[in-house]
Amino acid sequence: MQSSIPRRHALALLAATSAAMPVASAWAVDAGAQARSFVTMFGNKLVAIVNSDIALEKKKQDILPLLGQYVDVDAIGRYCLGRYWRTATPEQQDRYLKLFHQVLVNAITDKIGDYRGVTFVVGSSAPSGDDTAVSTVINRPGQPGADTQWIISTASGSPKVVDVVGEGASLRLTQRGDYTSFIARNGGNLDGLLRALDKQIANHH
Amino acid sequence: MRAETGSNSWSSRPFPSPRRSMLRVAGVALGLLGLASCAAPPPKDPDALAEYKEANDRYEKLNRKAFGLTMWANKYTLRPVAKAYIWAVPRPLRNSFGSLYQTMNEPVVFFNDVGAGKPRRAGDAFVRWCINMTAGLGGLIDVANYAGYKHHDNDGGLTLATWGVPSGPYLFLPALGPSSFRDGLGYGLDVGLSPWNYVPRGYGLLTFNWAYNIMGTINGMATNVDALDQVMKDSLDPYATIRSAYQQQRKAMAEAIKNDHRATVPDWYHTR
Repeated sequence: MQSSIPRRHALALLAATSAAMPVASAWAVDAGAQARSFVTMFGNKLVAIVNSDIALEKKKQDILPLLGQYVDVDAIGRYCLGRYWRTATPEQQDRYLKLFHQVLVNAITDKIGDYRGVTFVVGSSAPSGDDTAVSTVINRPGQPGADTQWIISTASGSPKVVDVVGEGASLRLTQRGDYTSFIARNGGNLDGLLRALDKQIANHH
Repeated sequence: MRAETGSNSWSSRPFPSPRRSMLRVAGVALGLLGLASCAAPPPKDPDALAEYKEANDRYEKLNRKAFGLTMWANKYTLRPVAKAYIWAVPRPLRNSFGSLYQTMNEPVVFFNDVGAGKPRRAGDAFVRWCINMTAGLGGLIDVANYAGYKHHDNDGGLTLATWGVPSGPYLFLPALGPSSFRDGLGYGLDVGLSPWNYVPRGYGLLTFNWAYNIMGTINGMATNVDALDQVMKDSLDPYATIRSAYQQQRKAMAEAIKNDHRATVPDWYHTR
């Protein structure tokens, strides 16, 4: 009998808090749940390719459509250029985005060979500015789990990845540090960056 | 470069011998004093100013020199040694050495957890030390990890951060790597907090300290060499990439410590 009193208290408390919850939080819960299910779906597709027994070249090809569909490469590219995006001519912007696509694809496909027998666990989600951050732990055999956050934006109409945060460092912010510093040290000239990216892609094999 | 004490590549600190460490602390202190006189003026343009503030790198010219020198020296000294070490020593053994190094650093983590006002974290560090020094054969096996006491990092710079001390300008210290005024000061505190520096001097201890430091440094480099190679290859400006990643990670680590309200019981208790 005695134990039912605190339980009743707890129930009353639960009812009171849920009644007091603002309507807006219902939307937040939805956005979080949507982002989590998106990361689960995208992650499962990636892991299925990465862990499969097909040849590395085939894996690289299979991953390309996934990146196109679920990663907002243009948004990441714009972000990485920082203040130089606004001052760039439309031709420069076009050329830059094309090069950036290739650089990002190369960076990702280079990594595929390192990830074999990978598993991941999707954790909680939280608002991150206008976007939603979803926490995951990526496990590789014989190595400590890597805490990784996926920043999901719905600005393009459907959920897409706009950033990956590994051990506290945002990939797009770090990349922006790299590009803007390079441009600033080359006299603020965007063409210098475009040439360097061209060279980077040409040297890639 | 630096040795690996935890999961985070840029956060770990080497664990130097008493004499070398005193010299290093003196060097860092002198360097900090000298720096105050050679800062570059901030830019006028508002966008450029925002970028300048984000980089937080008033001593960029000097830092870039230290970076260039460190990377050049690394290429011909530590990197080849670390590569040979990876080739010669199988991964499980390397993991064991890493775990030994981590365990020996556990007292520093403990004192910093206490300093940060996180008794439960300190308790975990203490238990990790006790378990690994005994059942873990002096740290060679991370038994504590299997018992539910996972490793966590802490150092003087992070403790100061939890006290609200701002990071101050970014610094790249020769041989030590990315740092800041606060983290440089914290490094000095850590040297003082390490019990190994208070054990009576003797040939045995000196040998241990040298072996320990050299092993820790090589093992740390071996853990990070691929990541470092990749940054040097993929970045257009590796210095700026490391600067950005380091400052973001330090901020995230300080936040994580502030928000860590862990329970007093280990993981295995809940799963029973």
